[in-house]
Amino acid sequence: MAEQVAAGTEEVAAEQRFEWVDRSLVLMCLGSLAVVLVGGFVQTRFGTYDMTWEQSWRAVSDPAVVGNWAVWEAFLFGGELPDSVGVESRVVWAYRIPRVFVAVLVGMNLAVSGAIFQAVTRNELASPFVLGVSSGAGFVILLVLVVFSGATLVVPYVFGTAVLGVSTLLPVFAAIGGIAAFFVVYAIAWKNGTSPVRLVLAGVVVSTVFMSLQRALFYFAGDITVVQQAIAWTTGSLNGTDWEQVRIALPWTLVVTLVVLVSARQLNVLLLGERTAKSLGMNVERVRFALSVVAATAAAAAIAVAGIVSFVGLIVPHMVRNIVGSDHRQLVVGCLFLGPALMVVADIGARLGLLFATGAMQQVPVGIVTGLIGGPYFLYLMRKQEAMGEL
Amino acid sequence: MTEDRGDRLERPSDQSDGDVPDAVAAAESASAPESDSTSSEPDATAHENSDPESTASTDATTFTAEDLVVGYPGTDEPVIDGESVVAAPGEVTALVGPNGSGKSTMLKGLADQIDVDEGTVLLDGESIEEFGSKELARRLGLLSQENVAPGSLAVEKLVQHGRYPHRGYFDGLTDEDRAAIDRAIELAGVGHLRERSVDSLSGGQKQLVWIAMVLAQETDVLLLDEPTTFLDMHHQLQVMGIVERLRDERETTVVVVLHDVEQAARFADYIVALDDGEVYDWGPPEDVLTEALLADVFAVDATVSHDPLRVTPRRPLDED
Repeated sequence: MAEQVAAGTEEVAAEQRFEWVDRSLVLMCLGSLAVVLVGGFVQTRFGTYDMTWEQSWRAVSDPAVVGNWAVWEAFLFGGELPDSVGVESRVVWAYRIPRVFVAVLVGMNLAVSGAIFQAVTRNELASPFVLGVSSGAGFVILLVLVVFSGATLVVPYVFGTAVLGVSTLLPVFAAIGGIAAFFVVYAIAWKNGTSPVRLVLAGVVVSTVFMSLQRALFYFAGDITVVQQAIAWTTGSLNGTDWEQVRIALPWTLVVTLVVLVSARQLNVLLLGERTAKSLGMNVERVRFALSVVAATAAAAAIAVAGIVSFVGLIVPHMVRNIVGSDHRQLVVGCLFLGPALMVVADIGARLGLLFATGAMQQVPVGIVTGLIGGPYFLYLMRKQEAMGEL
Repeated sequence: MTEDRGDRLERPSDQSDGDVPDAVAAAESASAPESDSTSSEPDATAHENSDPESTASTDATTFTAEDLVVGYPGTDEPVIDGESVVAAPGEVTALVGPNGSGKSTMLKGLADQIDVDEGTVLLDGESIEEFGSKELARRLGLLSQENVAPGSLAVEKLVQHGRYPHRGYFDGLTDEDRAAIDRAIELAGVGHLRERSVDSLSGGQKQLVWIAMVLAQETDVLLLDEPTTFLDMHHQLQVMGIVERLRDERETTVVVVLHDVEQAARFADYIVALDDGEVYDWGPPEDVLTEALLADVFAVDATVSHDPLRVTPRRPLDED
C-alpha cells in the first residue's frame, strides 16, 4: 500500500516536472523535425549533380558511410573521406548533407539568440543583431576583404608555423568583430548599470557608425568579385559550406543550447520588469549581461559560418511565441526546432529556387530568401492580429 | 477608544533625530501584539488569532530607516533630506501625504529600489546593503504601483515567480514552494483564477494576483506602493483585508503607501504623514489625523471625529 502511494507521488512529481510541456509545443517540434528531414532529403536529391529519389535515398542511408566510424571521424575532426565511398554518397555526404547541418545549426543559434535579446531588451521586435553584432561583424568582413585581401597571417604553433590567408580566417575575424561591437554597445550603454532602452539606443549608435564605415569600404572596393563576396557575407549565404563549417559551429551551438535551456526561468523573470525582478532578488545587471553574452556568442557563431542572415532571429521567436506563449522554457525549445526548419526551407529556396524557376545553375544568398519570407510574414501578422499593440 | 499603544512608540514631534534608536528599542520591547482585537478601527470585525501560541511572540521584524537622503539623478535637491522612519514591527504602518510629498520615493528607498545618497535602512538591525540580493528578497518584499506581465502568463505561473528568492539556479519547485504558493493563493483569495491568463483579468483581479505573488515570497517585511489606488471599492476592501490578515496571521511588518487617508485611518496601526519630503508627524491614527494636519499637509478643510475615528473632508483650501 505504501509502495502504491509512493509510486503515485512519484508519478505526480514527474507529471509536475514536465508540466510546462504542452501539446502545441510537441506538435510544433515534431512538425519542424519533419520539415527538416524532408527538406534535407530534397536538398540531397537536387542540384548540379542530378540523382533520382532512389539514388539519393541509397546515398543517404549508405552503410559504408553511416556505420563507418572512420568516415564520421573525418567529418567531425577534419580529414578526407576514404576512397571506398561511392560517387553519389560522396556528393551527398561531403557537400549536400553538411550544408543541411549548417543550416540547422545556424537556425538554432539565430532563433535562440533572437529569443534572448527579445527578452533582455523587452522588445518583441528585437533581433540577434540589435546590439551591434551584425554591424561589427560586417565591418570586419568588409575590412578584411577590401583592405587586407592580400595579407596573410603567420601563426606559430607547436609543430611549426601555419601561414593562413586572411580570407580563410574570415569567419574567426567576423565573429570577433561581432563580439567586440557587442561589448562596445554595452560599454556605451553603461552608466551605473544599463536598461533595455539604453542598450537599444547604444546598439543604434554603434550600428549606424559601423554601417557607414561598411558602405565606405564598399565604395572603395576595386573588384566586382570582392564586392560579390562581401555581399554574400553581409546578406548571409550557405553556399560552399561543408563539414568545416559544421565543426566551427557545433561546439558553440551545444554550449549555447545547454546554457539557454537552463536559464529559461531567468528570462521569464526578466519579462516581469526590472523592478519586480529586483524585488524578487535577481541581480538584474549580472543576469542581463550574462545572457546577452550568450546571445551575442550564438549570433557571432552563426555569422562565422553563414554570414549575416537576417530575419530568422526576429521572426522565429515571434512565431513560436504565437504558438506556445511567452514561457521561455517552451519558447526556447520551440526556437531550437523551428529555427532550423525555417533555415532549411530558406536554403532550399536559395540553392534550388533559380534552378527550378529558370533552369539556371545559380544560387542566391540565403539571406535574400529569408528577407523575402520575413516581410510577408509581418504582413500576415498585421492582418491576423487584431491587437496591433501586442506586436 | 484610546489605546495604550499610543504611549509605546515615541512620535517624531516629541523627539530629535538622535532618539530614533530609543524608539526602536521601545518598539522592540513593547511590540507584543494584543491577544484580543483592540484595534484602532472600531468598524473592523474582531480578528481573533486562530493560533493562540502566536500571540505571545515578539519575533516580528524591525524595519527602520535612519537619516535617509534620497534623490533622483536629474534633480539637484534630494526629495527626502535626512528623514528617519520606524515601521511598527508586526503591524501596519501607512505612509500618507499629498502628491509629490515623497511617499513613493521613500518607499523605493526603503525597498532598495533606488540608491540612497546617505543614510541606512535597517532590517532587524542590519543594513540592507549587507544582504545578498536573494537573501534580502526572502526578508523584504515589494509590490510596485504598476506591474507588467507577459499577457499569456497563467496566474499560477506568476505566483510561482514569488518563490524565486527561495530557489537556486537549477532548482525545481520543492514541496515547500508549492505549499507556499497554495497559501499565498488562498490568502489572496484568487484560487478560482489559477488557470486564467493574467491579461484576461480585471484590474482588481490583477492586483490580487500580483499580491499573491508577493505573498508567496513569504517575507518578514512587506512594502506596498499604493495597492488600492486604481481599484474599485470591493477590491480595495479585499486588499486591505489581506493586509490585516497578514499582520494577524503572519506578523508581517507592513508598510503601505495609501492615498486615501480614511482608508489609512481605518486599517493602519500607525500613520507616517509626509509633507514635501519631510516626516510631518507619526503615530496611531487618532493622534496623527487632526484637522490641523489635514489643513497643513493636505490643504484640505476637514472634520475629524473620534470614537469612531472618522475623517470627513469638506473642501480644498487655497494656497495662502
